[in-house]
Amino acid sequence: MLADIVSNLSLGLSVAASPEGLLFLVIGAFVGMIVGLFPGFGPAAGIAVLIPMTFGLTPTIAIIMLAGIYYGSMYGGTITSILINTPGESATVASTLDGYPLAQKGRAGPALVMQAIASFFGGTIGVILITALAPSLANFAASFGPSEYFLIIAVGLLMLTTMMGDNKFKGFISALIGFAIGTVGVDVMSGQQRYTFGSPELIGGVYFVAVAIGLFGIGELLHCILNGQHRQPAKRLRISFRDKEFWPTRQDYHESRFTFWRGSAIGFIAGVLPGSGATLGSIIGYSVEKKIAKDPENFGKGEMRGLVAPEAANNAASAGAMVPLLSLGIPGSGATAVLLGAFLMWGLQPGPLLIVNDPEFVWGLIASMYLGNMILIALSIFAIPLFVKFLDVPYVNVVPVIVLLCVIGAYAINASIVETWILVISGLIGFAMKKYGYSPAATVLALVLGSMAEETFLQTYIISQGTMNLFWVRPVSLVLSLILLTVVVVPLAISLSRKAKSYKANSTRKV
Amino acid sequence: MINRRAFTTLAAVAALSLGAAPALAESYPSERLNYTIAFGPGGGNDRMSRTVVDILKKYELYPGNIVVENREGGSGAVGFSFVKNKAGDPYAATSTSGNFIGTPLVSDTDWTYADFTPIGLLASDAMFLVVRTDSDFGSIDEFVEAAKAGRVTIAGSGSAGPERVTASLFAQAAGIEYEYVPIGSGGELVTALTSGSVDAVVANPSEVAGQMEAGTFKALAFSDSARSTNHPDIPTFQELGYDFSFSLPRGVVLPPELDPAVQDWWVATLQKVVGTPEWQEYLVTNGMSGNPIWGEEFGAYLADTSTKYEAVLKDIGAIN
Repeated sequence: MLADIVSNLSLGLSVAASPEGLLFLVIGAFVGMIVGLFPGFGPAAGIAVLIPMTFGLTPTIAIIMLAGIYYGSMYGGTITSILINTPGESATVASTLDGYPLAQKGRAGPALVMQAIASFFGGTIGVILITALAPSLANFAASFGPSEYFLIIAVGLLMLTTMMGDNKFKGFISALIGFAIGTVGVDVMSGQQRYTFGSPELIGGVYFVAVAIGLFGIGELLHCILNGQHRQPAKRLRISFRDKEFWPTRQDYHESRFTFWRGSAIGFIAGVLPGSGATLGSIIGYSVEKKIAKDPENFGKGEMRGLVAPEAANNAASAGAMVPLLSLGIPGSGATAVLLGAFLMWGLQPGPLLIVNDPEFVWGLIASMYLGNMILIALSIFAIPLFVKFLDVPYVNVVPVIVLLCVIGAYAINASIVETWILVISGLIGFAMKKYGYSPAATVLALVLGSMAEETFLQTYIISQGTMNLFWVRPVSLVLSLILLTVVVVPLAISLSRKAKSYKANSTRKV
Repeated sequence: MINRRAFTTLAAVAALSLGAAPALAESYPSERLNYTIAFGPGGGNDRMSRTVVDILKKYELYPGNIVVENREGGSGAVGFSFVKNKAGDPYAATSTSGNFIGTPLVSDTDWTYADFTPIGLLASDAMFLVVRTDSDFGSIDEFVEAAKAGRVTIAGSGSAGPERVTASLFAQAAGIEYEYVPIGSGGELVTALTSGSVDAVVANPSEVAGQMEAGTFKALAFSDSARSTNHPDIPTFQELGYDFSFSLPRGVVLPPELDPAVQDWWVATLQKVVGTPEWQEYLVTNGMSGNPIWGEEFGAYLADTSTKYEAVLKDIGAIN
């Protein structure tokens, strides 16, 4: 087993570590970071645009470069989450919760460094797990049908409650807004259109990226202007590698030493399951971290662990998503679907036999991911002072740049003005949410997960003829149902017994 | 490159100086071609379009420059509308696929298939009915018997897409009842079957070819009118006694109101394209069968596919 792994990896390294392989890996990783930096211009679009550039390369080198864009964007994507509170994709929504408050506290440097380290850690753990476990994990992913998907999404939805902020009622309203937006588009069962008002652009539903950029990016800007932040002089953050403030403190590392492991493990498992792996992984990673923390009240106010957990998770998930892609030919996200398209374009038949027929390709790609993560952490840390400089610019000058970026990002999704309107409207809603303490994160994640939950629930309903017995007849579903039940019932039972106790205590006191 | 551009400019000037409509046909093509792809990069329509353009360039079948642009949105509504509104412009082209028929049926578009100048069907994209190899269904007849005795579930991607039309036409031909399970993407469709959640899936050959090669899945029948050139061992539904065929048009169309000479030029040119080894390789890689149809015959094929599609959509209640 171990000998197999070593020989597979050395085969892979012989391909990936060639001068040509390294050159295109660096290009891919760099482009990925840049792509991640622009909200709305996600990895799927980045890979697609660069596919023509790869003509003339050998298939393996081409895919190594395209895959570099894919996981490189996970490094870059968080930078906007931290600096301007604007997640470029659903997987980095959770990173805004503590990342942005950290930057506001003047700790942007350490936050970005920790983010890069967490990404590296998660990405590398992910690749190690792929190397060791890919074949057995593939069978696990293949055993997931609609009922299992619904249950895992339900777990994710439950975890949303930890992200809703202090006021649970407002959190629920926020999530319900997300569910409501998620109903727009074609009804999955009948094919009838819902709330599209005859507009062909809305048939496919409201794409979450425009909503996320609006709620977070534009909403945050408007709120800052309301607070008069544009009239304040810019904070002079003169940060360089030599400054102590640039690096995370020993306390940061010490507090999050287990967070790295937990985030990576959770993220990887979520990533292996096709669907919204990286998003679910970052939500569950964040929630678990907050649940088991002794000081959950610090989360959401700039807690380093609240950034490390989702970052390790979403990078491990992007590695995990390569498992079903390489071993089953199943894409788990938009970006991996475009990668799959590139496989076909290069004449590689995705499926269980890919690893048998083209071992040099599969292992070359896996080996390149080890190297890619090393390149990316170096790139990130060197580029951080540049990014932090951005905070030096007076807010008055920053606002138009961010607005421009957001508008371009939203327009770029489909080259259509409809998304731009969605951006403007979500911006106003985001402003109101921020002002009155609602949770834009809950809205965006409910939008992403809600329509998936609806689809998989209805599929289960049809398959089981309305009896829903799939939830307990199928073994994997049964386990997930029990987990779900425990997550709901145990805290309820604890709080009930506490209430009963305190009631007893009160009543005895009265006597 | 510069020489060629200078030459085409000269040709254009010559055409202008003659100033008559037949002269346009003689000097055609003399300008840059704008090839619009109504879908995103990396998808099926994108791959086919780029293959056609690459072949046109490689064999210098098109004498000018070709610009390819993805205009996605609204399941093709945006891109096809863009090309339709270039009526009379012989320098715009686009590729058809399932949504070219389906989108105008389900939504309020300003175009239908009939608005375009049909050039040719280059490949047809038909579906397999696929079951797990370890299932009880050894043949399509056993599947039909099981459906008559009890209840079968067939999954396909999308609620009102070509997969559902195929499943529905099959059920009509076999006289069976079935439960259709719409599943989002290609990946979840495969796991719906591997996980044993559904009895069968209707899927594009490229989505299941990997699993079939590995022996996990087995195709019972093929929905085209002839066997697939890639999987000659899989019989068609018609051969098996279920009298229907359904496939999606992978073809090329131009904007409306064109000179017939332009249509003829393109038919002749694309006939050369499908003769190249690159095109044959494309068909094999993407699991398609190549039985091309040209010009107005292609137009008639589009009309027939649209009629079948519409009937099924009405039947399942997706449209009125």
